[in-house]
Amino acid sequence: MASRGANVVLSRANRMRQTLQSALEASVLELEDVSYQHAGHAGVEKGANETHFNVKIVSPKFEGQSLVKRHRMVYDLLSDELKSGLHALSIVAKAPKETGS
Amino acid sequence: MAAPTQISRFDPFMSPPLTSRKPNLSFPLFSTSFTSLSFPSFSLSLSRPKPQTQRSYRHRVHASIRKLSESDSLPISKDPEDLDASIPTGAGVYGVFDANGELQFVGISRNIASSVDKHRKSVPSDLCSSVKVGPADTATPDRMVLQSAWKSWIEEHISATGKPPPGNVQGNYTWIGAPPDIRLTPGRHVSLTIPLEELIDRLVKEHKVVAFIKGSRRAPQCGFSQKVVSILESHGVDFVSLDVLDEEHNYGLREKLKSYSNWPTFPQVFVGGELVGGCDIISDLAEKGELKALFQK
Repeated sequence: MASRGANVVLSRANRMRQTLQSALEASVLELEDVSYQHAGHAGVEKGANETHFNVKIVSPKFEGQSLVKRHRMVYDLLSDELKSGLHALSIVAKAPKETGS
Repeated sequence: MAAPTQISRFDPFMSPPLTSRKPNLSFPLFSTSFTSLSFPSFSLSLSRPKPQTQRSYRHRVHASIRKLSESDSLPISKDPEDLDASIPTGAGVYGVFDANGELQFVGISRNIASSVDKHRKSVPSDLCSSVKVGPADTATPDRMVLQSAWKSWIEEHISATGKPPPGNVQGNYTWIGAPPDIRLTPGRHVSLTIPLEELIDRLVKEHKVVAFIKGSRRAPQCGFSQKVVSILESHGVDFVSLDVLDEEHNYGLREKLKSYSNWPTFPQVFVGGELVGGCDIISDLAEKGELKALFQK
């Protein structure tokens, strides 16, 4: 993996942002690290950080997809992160038409 | 036509348990350890007029148990040590009233005093203020007699107030206690004869709504699981739950389920064998008012 070196210095939040932005062509992409709310709960390693995020994405790729599909798309894109300590995501995934703006 | 109201009942001597009532479910690996509680649900139609034959039949069957409105009201003592000598220890129907005199729950029992005592210990005390009792006139009445008396008390209350007692609405576990979580195996030492994946597959197809959560249903160990349980219960959804953190009884479930459902996080809610989603999706559907429709399919 060519980007391996870069990944080490980038925070998980930044990696996630890049991955989601480039794959979903998101018009809105908000990432919020809420790991502090879950520090030390069951299944989270002691001292781990960047484990829980709130994600809000508006992407044309969600058009016509069910909620389950949209969430799966996000999970699939972030599967490497999920394997390496990302524990949970709270996802709001909308198509541009659904934002009401 | 109006949807029938689902009523659940406290019925300490009615078995078999929920899971084995469905014929294809007598699957020895699911142990639900239901004790004395079961959750039969009755469809009481509020709008349909009752045929005359049914009415006269009901009259005959429980002529021995008085109507709810004609039964005696007895105070329930607040002192947990103080046994209420006035409450009969025999079989019958009973209705518990809160401090404001509102009927909260109607149950049937082989020992009314003991059932009321159990409620008093498990339910907030302001909900257990007084009790009306309809004792049966024989020591060992037929179950049908008690059940039909229970039904007529519920119907009497519905016709007087327009709704069933809150504690008898399906999905309210204040009085009858939540069903325990399903366990896939009796313990870690037991080796499965069926692949875990197939076990999961059967489970989600045999139960209409299945929630895979972290922690037990009564004490979820994760905020998202807690939220899903409370949304499902507040919508009166009849669901079974499994604790993915229970490595003793559900060994390997947590990882296997992620690949089975192609979903990396918990909780996960299945309806009719299909993954509906996790906490975000369930919350979203609840906010949009689409949950009810989903579970009625």
